[in-house]
Amino acid sequence: MRFGRTSKAVGTAAIAALALSACASTEGGGGGDSTEGGSQASGGNTSVTVAEVNQFTSFNSNSATGNVDINGTIEYLTQWDFNYLTNDLELKRREEFGTYKKLSEDPLKIKYTINEGVVWSDGTPIDAGDLMLAWAVQSGHFDDAKTNDAGDVVSGTNYFSYAGSTSGLGLTDVPEIGDDGRSITMTYSKPYADWEIAFGVGLPAHVVAKGAGLKNEQALTDLLLSAPEGDPENPKKRPKLKKVANFWNTGFDTTTFPSNKGLTLSSGPYMVESMVPDRSMTLVRNPEYDWGPEPKIDEIVIRYIPESPSQVQALQNGEVDIIAPQASGDIKASLEQLSGFKMLTGQMLSFDHIDLKYGGVFKDVDVRKAFMNTIPRNQIVQSTIAQVIPDAKPRDSHVFDMGTPGYKASVKVNGSENWQEVDIQKAKELLNGRTPKVKIMYNADNPNRVDAYTLIAESAEKAGFNVVDGGLPGNKWGAALTAGGWDATIFGWISDGVGVTGVPQLYGCGSASNFTGFCDEKAQQAMDELIVTTDPQKQQELKITVDKRLFETGYGLPLFQSPGIIAYNDKLKGIEFMGNQTGVWWNFWEWEVAK
Amino acid sequence: MVTYIVRRLVTAVLILLAASFLVYLLTAASGDPLQQYRQSSLPNKEQLIQQRIQLLNLNTPAPLRYFDWLGGAAGCLIPFAAECDLGKSIQGIEVTTLLARAMGQTIQLVTAATILAIIIGIALGIITALRQYSGLDYGVTFMAFLFFSLPIFWVAVLLKEYGAIGFNNFLNQPNIGLSAMGIIGLVAGFICYLVPKSGVKRKLIAAAIGFVAAVALCWYLDISGWFLTPGFGAIGVALMGVAAAYLVTVLTAGLRNRKALYSALITVGLGMIAYFAIQPLLDLATILMIIILGVGAVLVGVAVGYLMGGFDRRQSMNAAGLTAFLMGFVILLDRYMQEWPEYFNNSRIGGRPIATIGSSTPNLEGNFWIAGLDIFTHLLLPTIALMLISLASYSRYSRASMLEIMNQDYIRTARAKGLTERTVVMRHAFRNALIPLATLVAFDIGALIGGAIITEAVFAFSGMGQLFVDALNAVDPNPVMGVFLITGILAMTFNLVADLIYSVLDPRVRVKA
Repeated sequence: MRFGRTSKAVGTAAIAALALSACASTEGGGGGDSTEGGSQASGGNTSVTVAEVNQFTSFNSNSATGNVDINGTIEYLTQWDFNYLTNDLELKRREEFGTYKKLSEDPLKIKYTINEGVVWSDGTPIDAGDLMLAWAVQSGHFDDAKTNDAGDVVSGTNYFSYAGSTSGLGLTDVPEIGDDGRSITMTYSKPYADWEIAFGVGLPAHVVAKGAGLKNEQALTDLLLSAPEGDPENPKKRPKLKKVANFWNTGFDTTTFPSNKGLTLSSGPYMVESMVPDRSMTLVRNPEYDWGPEPKIDEIVIRYIPESPSQVQALQNGEVDIIAPQASGDIKASLEQLSGFKMLTGQMLSFDHIDLKYGGVFKDVDVRKAFMNTIPRNQIVQSTIAQVIPDAKPRDSHVFDMGTPGYKASVKVNGSENWQEVDIQKAKELLNGRTPKVKIMYNADNPNRVDAYTLIAESAEKAGFNVVDGGLPGNKWGAALTAGGWDATIFGWISDGVGVTGVPQLYGCGSASNFTGFCDEKAQQAMDELIVTTDPQKQQELKITVDKRLFETGYGLPLFQSPGIIAYNDKLKGIEFMGNQTGVWWNFWEWEVAK
Repeated sequence: MVTYIVRRLVTAVLILLAASFLVYLLTAASGDPLQQYRQSSLPNKEQLIQQRIQLLNLNTPAPLRYFDWLGGAAGCLIPFAAECDLGKSIQGIEVTTLLARAMGQTIQLVTAATILAIIIGIALGIITALRQYSGLDYGVTFMAFLFFSLPIFWVAVLLKEYGAIGFNNFLNQPNIGLSAMGIIGLVAGFICYLVPKSGVKRKLIAAAIGFVAAVALCWYLDISGWFLTPGFGAIGVALMGVAAAYLVTVLTAGLRNRKALYSALITVGLGMIAYFAIQPLLDLATILMIIILGVGAVLVGVAVGYLMGGFDRRQSMNAAGLTAFLMGFVILLDRYMQEWPEYFNNSRIGGRPIATIGSSTPNLEGNFWIAGLDIFTHLLLPTIALMLISLASYSRYSRASMLEIMNQDYIRTARAKGLTERTVVMRHAFRNALIPLATLVAFDIGALIGGAIITEAVFAFSGMGQLFVDALNAVDPNPVMGVFLITGILAMTFNLVADLIYSVLDPRVRVKA
């Protein structure tokens, strides 16, 4: 083979260029695949690594697609709000960030004000424009869609796919913007019990405005102020608003660090600094933040570890510092063997219960009560959650979560003391020789529910009940809840730990989550009053009334609140157990690395 | 041949269509996509259910939804159309993005394990076939079946417990106790005992040598603090180079071919010069540079062999080229070890280098070598776990195939005409024994992308298997279909490739249209 002179020269040059480009610059490089250059944790900076099960997918945790726990966690770290929930389930205000004031009781009028000097992490002030956008989203004010029975939209549009409830702010009209430009005032058309948790600040309006192709935040505010309320009878096309909504709905979804830094803006102590898809996420201090407690940790790294045993081993190997594995006796036992780590256990805000249908075999209240007398609640607790929490007790209220002030007050009067122990004799008396056939439906793939069923069935048969096993596989039982075909069912509710509008959702006549057909005049009256009552003391009284009626009419029995486990490296301080979905993160600003 | 391939491809497309329809229906029927809302007590529960129904278009029956999906997916088959739409996951992420990422993770996880399993498995199979019914054969067979029958999640958890957590604890106080040394020595002695072909005396001598060598090595590693500042040093590199030269020559040319041996040894000499000359350059290393250097090394080796000339130039070139490659590998390893203390003491590592989860340490900053070590410490355990389990099939297959070949008439002929045993084994038997394995390897590479579901879950790798399982749990058909499409296409392709390779390798097999 012969090469011409030119091709030889080109070849040599190409090889030389290749060889040169093969050298890395002396300033490191090459390694590390974080999207953003990270700051080094060395030099006295403190860093904490937390294991999470799911992967982060969106900076907007309130949209239909972004509504996942992990996204909510990042929001909790980066988006400050007017209040937060402590692990005593008490609502605390963040007065250094912003304030809210009830201007009048009737009509219910609330003024929200952001403090002066509070800014997004790019320096833009947080102001009424941001609050207006949040209101537009959370009120569903502009929606004018009509849906058919199958749930398909037949006319009009639902603008923002908000994953939260619009039942609160839906009662308000367009807010007034205060003269300082940092406050808005909302007026409810009727009192709303959960007004204090109905509104949150949400996403930066100037970013949404830009993303939707509007000139600036003011243009967005003007658009929201001028647009008329949506009317399903008379739907209108509103292309500009549609664009805003589209950006809000999906524009914040990303699994890589976005090129548009606006998506990552923070109003809280931390901001997202880098993301490695499927692996980890790093948050550092927000340099602008000075409105609230100063966190003691410089950097928080989140690593995604789906399996609980893997989380335990990663903790043991020092790869993560905090884990919240699925609580089970095995996990607890393996954590107990470790030294150098601490473990917290507690009860989550989800609880298992057995509900009896108001009708069919249970039409007679005596049969219901006879059945309730046979439910061995202590035994169920012993065989399920006691492996994690040895001194666990059954839950004694339908409505109140354990550990709340209302729980104690309610337990005294709600009649739960009648069902502390199994009383076969009494059940037999109530049955009076009858042998009713009871079909119990439950999720047969959930070991706790299977245990509960087995114990209940065994005990009920002693009293003369003829129990039929109605256990269904994990993918079937949910649909059967609504479809019926059972007399009793064992399943769980998940509570938020705050707010009262969930009560009529579960126990209201004909409401969506009321599967048993419970409909009691006294209870319904109390609930009707409850959702328009803003006084906490009065709310509690009304809830107790509902709780009492549930026991009196033989609704069924609450069984237990599920256990939770948190484990952490004992170089950390300030970690506390929290039962709701915020979990261990609830007081992240108090975490500290011991010197 | 062309007609055959076309016919196979057409059938493949039809099978894929039918199978994808089936998989779609199965996924849609696998669970309740609204499960998470059923026991929700949220006031806006119905609204959330509506949102989910619209997102997944649940009011349309699954068979019709399949054609929706197919319409988008069909765009992927037209090359360069750039309209590949595999839909989005429930969380609103493009399935194509998810797939690309998951495939990357899976390939990273299983590649090393597969290659090592193939090399080691075949080597073990050949050796045990040559020593049929010896202690070595039984030992290897026993171990292969033992590992094969172990559940991988259990192996993985044990590996993490001892290979990562235990070893990291050890590294904080790297002293090998006397009893540990004794046990290591006994194991080494036992393995060496199995190696000689026959004669109790020879076996005992081998065992003694093995015992002493292992204990001495442990003692040296312990005394020199090798675990904290590992490295071969110039002497170590030279010794390993010479060993490699002899081994390679034995396998490729035989020690009697002096020219081949000398070219290999000369290459080792050149490698030693390069070892010193190249160190400053390696500070600036990138992956491209390593590849260029590797290719350069092999070329130099081949050149040395060529210049040595002689009766059979090819053998010298092979020996020297392979030796150069191994020498380069040793130098590379040595270089990685030099960086070990820095990696070990990095604040992100904190003196616990072997990882139990993931594929990299978040926010670790460092040069090429640090990044490489990080990958190594993360991949070590999953690679061992996967390898142990797939060793068995390779070693069994290659043993059986080698045994069959060794009983063929042409092997007897080769021996009869006076060829050395090395030539008979390496040239006549070994190559032909590999032919049936080609099918196995092609299949495995096809299956490789499908992911190792359990291993991925235990080691927190979010690869194809994990993507599949997560999507199935959420009753989210789009990602499931994406995974199915990739694995299905690969399985079909490699099936075809395996058949074609077979006909190329073995002239007795002909493709008939």
